[in-house]
Amino acid sequence: METTAPASVLSLRQAAFFERHLAARPVTVDLELGRGQLALVEVEDEIDAVALVDLCVGLTLATLGEVLFLGRDWRTETYRENLDRRGRIGSVVQSQVWPAHLSIAQSVLMPRLYHTRRTEDDVIAEATVLARRFGLPGLPVGRRETMPAGELVRAACVRAFLGTPDLIVVHDAPLDQIAELAVPMAQALAAVQDRGGAAIWVTDYAGVPAARFVAADHVLRLGDRGLVAARRRG
Amino acid sequence: MTARVDRFLARRARRVPAWGRPGQRLAAVGTATRRGFTTLVEFAAFAATVVALGLRRDSWRLPVRATFRHAVHDLAVRSVGTTLATGVLLGFALATQAVYWLEATGQTGLMGRIIVFTLVREITPIFVGLIVFGRVGTSILIELAEARPKGWLRKIERLGVDPVVLLVMPRVLGSAVGAFCLAVVLVFSTLASGFLVARTLGIIAYSIWDFAETVMRAMSVLDFVVPSIKCLIIGFAVTLACCATGLARRDESEELQRVVRSGFVRAALAILLVNGLFDLIG
Repeated sequence: METTAPASVLSLRQAAFFERHLAARPVTVDLELGRGQLALVEVEDEIDAVALVDLCVGLTLATLGEVLFLGRDWRTETYRENLDRRGRIGSVVQSQVWPAHLSIAQSVLMPRLYHTRRTEDDVIAEATVLARRFGLPGLPVGRRETMPAGELVRAACVRAFLGTPDLIVVHDAPLDQIAELAVPMAQALAAVQDRGGAAIWVTDYAGVPAARFVAADHVLRLGDRGLVAARRRG
Repeated sequence: MTARVDRFLARRARRVPAWGRPGQRLAAVGTATRRGFTTLVEFAAFAATVVALGLRRDSWRLPVRATFRHAVHDLAVRSVGTTLATGVLLGFALATQAVYWLEATGQTGLMGRIIVFTLVREITPIFVGLIVFGRVGTSILIELAEARPKGWLRKIERLGVDPVVLLVMPRVLGSAVGAFCLAVVLVFSTLASGFLVARTLGIIAYSIWDFAETVMRAMSVLDFVVPSIKCLIIGFAVTLACCATGLARRDESEELQRVVRSGFVRAALAILLVNGLFDLIG
């Protein structure tokens, strides 16, 4: 039997946004992110932004409506299935937070080695190429405490784009402000889109320097009426 | 007089209905018992989860295998020095107390059995448990106690990695294997140093081979199997107690020192509980 890939990578259908901070009533969100598409979403409040990211990656389950990733609702799958599916998502979220027991290099490689059967050498080779693209001399070694914030952002980008993720989720304030990453981010996101993946960039302001060259299919803003089309400024 | 009236009024104000105080006490005992029982059941469920995950082939992915290797190395290799030192001190106590008193009372025929009963069956598993806690338990406890407040536990989940599979299961099983290795080192170092001290002090006159034969003759097949299993389970339980206590810390409002204290108490209880259960069975 021939199976066809779902048209949408990420679908939020009337997904209740109960956690929305400073909102008088629950907000429902609608978003269809097809293959090759990229959405730039403006969310002013940090708590709302994190909640939206968690809703997209299935870390928070929608109590109303549905959130589908590759055509399947996060709620209908088991915990382990959801973990495996989350392995197909690359995220640049909280780039300054890293597991304490691993070095940065181990942390970068760990998700790919966990979710695939690729050899360590193969993943290291790919990570090294990506690291150079993001302006690092190579795969970053050392621990989180000894690395500058900018390098941690770049390492987080390497981790997100490693392998062939179907969805890229970006939400990171330090990344947003690094103008030098505008070109590599735009190139890396374009490569994901060309491959049939999708991306969602959640930021407090759509005109952030790092997203300057990103070609967005949707520019949206989270408000009391959910996600509404917005104009890109800056 | 006024003071007496004041005391009477104060007592009256504090007074609770006749059934209240004993009832409240009973309720407090019940609450504490239920809480303790719930913790025990949760701990057992957590242990069962770890074992079940360990039996799944799918769990043993590359980073998990690396964590397991690291856990075994941390205990079985890096803790050998501590274990040898403990063994020497225990051997000294063995020579100056057990061997000395057996010689003094003319009961040297019981030496092998005494050594097997006290050292192999009882002392070794308890000391191994304490070494596991000191060498790896505390660091795991502190590390995992900071995982949730510092946000990296959620980060791991966001990456699609099961925190129990990556952070708990390989460490707990690695500690079990490591504890077994340490038990072997501890028994041999204690016997060797005990013999040397006793020989140097002139407490015993026979050769190391006779001493070894005395010990071996007193050992049954079960003495090779049961203490080994006991050490495996103690290593497992101590690390599991540390992992469970560390992961239970929700935020920074709970003091880290308190978590460490609680982890130590749980680990010590786990050692004694496992030891006691084996004594009951055996």
